[in-house]
Amino acid sequence: MPMYQLKPICGSDIKIDLPACMYKLPNIHAQQGSGCAEHALQNGDVDPALKALEARQDEILRKLYDLKAAVDGLAKTVTTPDADLDATTLPQSPTGSPFTGTADLDALLGKDVGALRDIVVNANPANPPFSLLVLHGLLCRRYRVLSSVYVHSSVTSVPPQLLSCLGQPPADSYTRDRFQLGFTLIWKDVPTLQMKFSTPSMCPIEGEANVARFLFRLLGAEPRDPVAATRADCWVDVGIIQLAEGSAKERAAAVRALNAALGCSPWLLGSELSLADIVCACSLLWAGQADAAPANVKRWLQACRNLGHFDCVYTLLQ
Amino acid sequence: MALLSPELRAETVALCVNSEGRGSFCVNNVKTSDAAAEEEQAQSKKALKKQQKEAEKQAKKAEKQAKMDFAKDRYGVSAMVQSQERLGRTLIRVQDLTPEKANQLVWVRARMHTIRAKGKQCFLVLRQQQFNVQALVAVGDRASKQMVKFAANITKESIVDVEAVVQTVEQKIETCTQHDVELHVERIFVISQADARLPLQLEDGLFLPAGRATVNQDTRLDNRVIDLRTTTSQAIFRLQSGVCQLFRDTLLQKGFVEIQTPKIISAASEGGANVFTVSYFKTSAYLAQSPQLYKQMCICADFDKVFCIGPVFRAEDSNTHRHLTEFVGLDIEMAFNYHYHEVLDSITDTMVEIFKGLRDRFQTEIQTVCKQYHSEPFKFLEPTLRLEYQEGVAMLRAAGVEMGDEEDLSTPNEKLLGRLVKEKYDTDFYVLDKYPLEVRPFYTMPDPHNPKYSNSYDMFMRGEEILSGAQRVHDAQLLTERASHHGIGSHSNSSCYEDFYSFRYGAPPHAGGGIGLERVTMLYLGLHNIRQTSMFPRDPKRLTP
Repeated sequence: MPMYQLKPICGSDIKIDLPACMYKLPNIHAQQGSGCAEHALQNGDVDPALKALEARQDEILRKLYDLKAAVDGLAKTVTTPDADLDATTLPQSPTGSPFTGTADLDALLGKDVGALRDIVVNANPANPPFSLLVLHGLLCRRYRVLSSVYVHSSVTSVPPQLLSCLGQPPADSYTRDRFQLGFTLIWKDVPTLQMKFSTPSMCPIEGEANVARFLFRLLGAEPRDPVAATRADCWVDVGIIQLAEGSAKERAAAVRALNAALGCSPWLLGSELSLADIVCACSLLWAGQADAAPANVKRWLQACRNLGHFDCVYTLLQ
Repeated sequence: MALLSPELRAETVALCVNSEGRGSFCVNNVKTSDAAAEEEQAQSKKALKKQQKEAEKQAKKAEKQAKMDFAKDRYGVSAMVQSQERLGRTLIRVQDLTPEKANQLVWVRARMHTIRAKGKQCFLVLRQQQFNVQALVAVGDRASKQMVKFAANITKESIVDVEAVVQTVEQKIETCTQHDVELHVERIFVISQADARLPLQLEDGLFLPAGRATVNQDTRLDNRVIDLRTTTSQAIFRLQSGVCQLFRDTLLQKGFVEIQTPKIISAASEGGANVFTVSYFKTSAYLAQSPQLYKQMCICADFDKVFCIGPVFRAEDSNTHRHLTEFVGLDIEMAFNYHYHEVLDSITDTMVEIFKGLRDRFQTEIQTVCKQYHSEPFKFLEPTLRLEYQEGVAMLRAAGVEMGDEEDLSTPNEKLLGRLVKEKYDTDFYVLDKYPLEVRPFYTMPDPHNPKYSNSYDMFMRGEEILSGAQRVHDAQLLTERASHHGIGSHSNSSCYEDFYSFRYGAPPHAGGGIGLERVTMLYLGLHNIRQTSMFPRDPKRLTP
């Protein structure tokens, strides 16, 4: 905004004979003149552009206040356990049947860039991620997956069954562009399991539980209902933290909890197999607790086995 | 006179008097004759004392001489070894000097690396290739003062034979590779003496803490013999020999045949640019840019799988860190059954075997080089990661690079892609497959599904290209088409073109590629200049040594 404005002193319609030897430009004064005429506002009048700007600022500030209130509310719920929601009062919405959800890879992983979308998992051969192998099998049923296993130079030798844990590579593995998804497992000397997908835009995901969640989401079968989702998350953490990595005491407690939960329903989250079942079963198998498990857990493990998704794990355990 | 100390001046005066009798002119003229006479008496007394002293000195010297004798035959410059006699003496290698050899008397032949004399003792560092050990010559019942003095004056880089007792040390000797033992020298003989003035100091060529004077690379290359003695150079070229050996061993095991191809050829193999012309009697010939044609002819002659190791010449006037005008090429060509990935797998397997062999057998060398030129250890995957060109382009685009689908990779993009791949897959070695047809030579087989691409591949180490290869067109008719498309007609490059007529008599489908030995060594060790991994490098500005 100029500080002050003057009305044009002379009219813009003065005719001047211009030499024709050079190129022509529109009359600058004429343009400015018209602009001035528009903006020549009387004292007290506010420019509409300024008004719009003020309105935008107000809007942004309002949104910020709303956001702050929302965050404060959330913080309150988290810090005060009494404010927790009562799960029992919420209606149990039926979860969709697993692995039939309409997952669109473009929507989940970002737009196709004309190259194979490759999920790279770095795992330590001393601690093979059973649950990810099961999820890989499920992914293979849904999508055309190019799976490959590599050994990193930080590891000197890997048992042969770990090299073939993703099954035989497809016959047409030489045409990478025909696949929807890549699943690359690298046996590497890493302290914790690690997954890399799109390195420029996404940081690596660490820990078997988190990678399992990521892969399960690609199946489009995660519970839409927040309560069920929370319970699934909780069981996944129990599976990894207590069953697989916990002490004997923790493990025993977790097995008891599993037994109790499985007494009420065939699967951990009700009537359908979910990520919770996959992770807990794999952790139990990895810990070698399958034989000493209580009745409900045994029945559940047998049910898992009958599904056929766990075949790769049982081959590795032999 | 004025420079002499007062006592010395007095002595000189006394001597003058003695020799000239009464004459006192040699002293200052200011003295009267009486005074001179008195003085003369006093002086003759002094002279007497002086004589006595000198006699004593002589006696002492004689005594010393007698003392020296006891170690006289324990040191010296030995006569030139002209193979006068063959001693049954076993020489111990420096690297074998370990605490197990403690208290043994051993003979060692090594170079004088450093010499530090300190009163009655003299510390030597004896170097043998990559290894060195501390030796001590100290005055005692085995070594005389003269022997210590002799040892202290041996020039650096001289070759010496040393007989010594191996002693374990309490405190680790950090500066030597054999840090648990030192040698207590009993005899020392110089076998070959080095000039006192060296064109460059070995230590300067080695560890370079910030702020110290560094040796210019050109100075080093000019005096390559001395530069090659540094532990780093020793390690580099031992490792390079390992690369060659592992390459040969792996391929022979896979049933390959090693072939030799001519280096003087009648026509350029790749389009005609970048060749050296040499005069060949009444006409001219060229130095081979690659054994390409000959490898292919061997395939046509049913050798099935061949490889060759030999010099390759490129008349490229590029003064970069990775170009040489002559380098050693490791070339592979192989007939396959149905898919060129059979060949690709063979080549990548070979590379992985080389990397594994180096990792497992050359750890000492890698560590030695790492001490001077620090770099991350070389990482790789087994089997080798294979990405397609389109994927590479997509990765680069995701990182913000603008480039066309069929554009060739520029050097910075190659490096960037190397970094992106390393970030995601943590490997320094990968293959980029399916290059655009346009950027490859005319004998490259087009892709069966997409005519814009080809069955060709490049291999990268630490983001730099080391191998370029492809399935070759083995059909004479298609080859003629491709050649004319590239503007290589029979008139322009006749003999090169005729070579491909061998395909008319039936050729198996085949593919191959070539690696530069120097580049592989450089990139494996993470060095930054190819001249460090070429023993006597040739570049546009260097033809000597």
